[in-house]
Amino acid sequence: MLIATKNLRKTYDLGAAQVEALRGVTLEIEQGEYVAIMGPSGSGKSTLMHILGCLDTPSSGRYTLAEREVSGLAGRALARVRNEEIGFVFQNFNLLPRIDVVANVALPLVYLGGVSKKERRTRAADVLERLGLGHRLRHRPNELSGGERQRASIARALVNEPSILLADEPTGNLDSKTGKEIMDILDGLSREGRTVILVTHDANVAAHARRVVQIEDGVIAREERT
Amino acid sequence: MNFFESIDAGARAMAANKARAVITTIGIVLGVASVVTLLSLMRGGQQQTEAYFAELGGARELRITNTRTDRVFMTAAERASERLTYRDAQAILTDCPAVLTVDPEITRFLDVSYRDKNFMMKVLGTNRHYPYADDMPVAKGRFISDQDCQNYANVVMLGPTYKQDLFGDEEAIGKTIVIRGVPFTVVGIMQKKEFYFRGGGGSGDRNVLEWFNRSLYIPITTMVKRFTVDDRLDGLEIAAKSVEAVPDLTEEAHTVLLRHHGVEDFTIESKSGQIAAQNQEGAFFNIIFSAVAFVSLFVGGVVIANIMLASIAERIREIGVRKAIGASGLDVFVEFLLEAIVVTTSGGLVGILLGLGLTAAVERFLGMPVDLTPAIVAIALLTSVGVGIVFGMFPAIRAARLNPVEALRYQ
Repeated sequence: MLIATKNLRKTYDLGAAQVEALRGVTLEIEQGEYVAIMGPSGSGKSTLMHILGCLDTPSSGRYTLAEREVSGLAGRALARVRNEEIGFVFQNFNLLPRIDVVANVALPLVYLGGVSKKERRTRAADVLERLGLGHRLRHRPNELSGGERQRASIARALVNEPSILLADEPTGNLDSKTGKEIMDILDGLSREGRTVILVTHDANVAAHARRVVQIEDGVIAREERT
Repeated sequence: MNFFESIDAGARAMAANKARAVITTIGIVLGVASVVTLLSLMRGGQQQTEAYFAELGGARELRITNTRTDRVFMTAAERASERLTYRDAQAILTDCPAVLTVDPEITRFLDVSYRDKNFMMKVLGTNRHYPYADDMPVAKGRFISDQDCQNYANVVMLGPTYKQDLFGDEEAIGKTIVIRGVPFTVVGIMQKKEFYFRGGGGSGDRNVLEWFNRSLYIPITTMVKRFTVDDRLDGLEIAAKSVEAVPDLTEEAHTVLLRHHGVEDFTIESKSGQIAAQNQEGAFFNIIFSAVAFVSLFVGGVVIANIMLASIAERIREIGVRKAIGASGLDVFVEFLLEAIVVTTSGGLVGILLGLGLTAAVERFLGMPVDLTPAIVAIALLTSVGVGIVFGMFPAIRAARLNPVEALRYQ
């Protein structure tokens, strides 16, 4: 089992009140699965995504990722897991504006450590080629179209060969045509055997996945398989 | 991220907003420039003091003088003491193992005449060690010798100004002059001693060592025999065998003199003591100068800290992304700290160049003595790196501590 969570809870302390964002989520995802996590605003789906992506830790409960117990990790150890196991794709791309596309895509390798600059750029260029951005290597992000930026973002997520690809509203900032192109790419990556997790409130996007997990009020309400 | 890439990232961040980079570094540039200039001025002043004392003789000499008593009534012991005498000088020479040379001095103003010329001149009775002690080379002929002292010889050495006064351009060696009725043969002429202080109101024209040029030198024994009633000295300079032996000599001389006098009515001063005293006077200005320099550096540092904080606020999202893809807090900390150091160090380099220019200008247009050593440049450079570290630390820690989830959400 690639991802196994048991009874995840997350409580935020907001001064006087306490907010229970997750109230016991138990979820298992196998390697190679194509999963969508759906839920309305405030359902806890973002919180779940942050915990699955090791950006945050649960208040209680267990999270095992690639046979590693990560729920107890923090700081550097957690950053390491993020670097090696997770590939993020954000709604608003989140590319760094001051460096070119290749440098952006190579950045996870920088934090991995032990990879020479030359090797980093080669690997980044490779991934960009596969995603059809071989002609945009030296450009700055602001010189790319929306679709190109998201492709570059996906390239960055892939460069470290992570265990899971975590895409948060990947088509949210794109027009429908470009959005389809991006979903095609994600579909293709799933067919290659990668584990892809979509987090979205859009049913059309979720429909691409083979399993949809509905989150409501901090718990899993239902699951559907297609 | 390795060291050089972090520096590259820092330089990039600076280049991204050129106007901000300029404003940030102005404080550092001015601060470092003032540090360089002020330290050079301080060094220049000190060096001038040391050069002055070097002209007067090196660091191995001790000067012994009669302590002035302000009190009207002297104790019996004080009255009994003869104060410094030629016999004291001889005792020091024999009884102090650390001593190299002893030169006692008795100074009187006496009439001196040659042919039709007649002057009241300063005559100094001393021994052969005098020119050694005060670094006074002989221009022509010779100085007083031990035999002259032993034989109470009537020989005289002329300081260059007095030689000119008595003989004009005539050859003086071998001629006879009359000092208070006693004929003396001229055996030598001293080289001219000069030193001009730079800076300060107009004293640059005055040779502060003219005193030496206006003297006649005769053996001290002759002085005592012919012109004084006793052998009391006006001054006594002794030199130690080495600079390290100076403290020993001070103690030994102190013991000998105390034994002879019975009271401590003398003062033993070392040249380095005098130099230290002079430097202490300058210390007041040094403190003011340093305060100015370091306040401006501090201000520069605070400016940098503020601008770095602003820069971080702009890049919160970016920090969140970096953390999301695997940057640890330490990675972020190092990156931002290095950025601050790059900013301050480049400002520091510009500041050093500016400081070089300012120092040259001060020397040229204000006539003040300066000494810009490589050590000063090194201090300035290290200071700018240090300012980067100190003032970059807080913003860097702030950046490192950002929560990635919140950072990513930041608009």
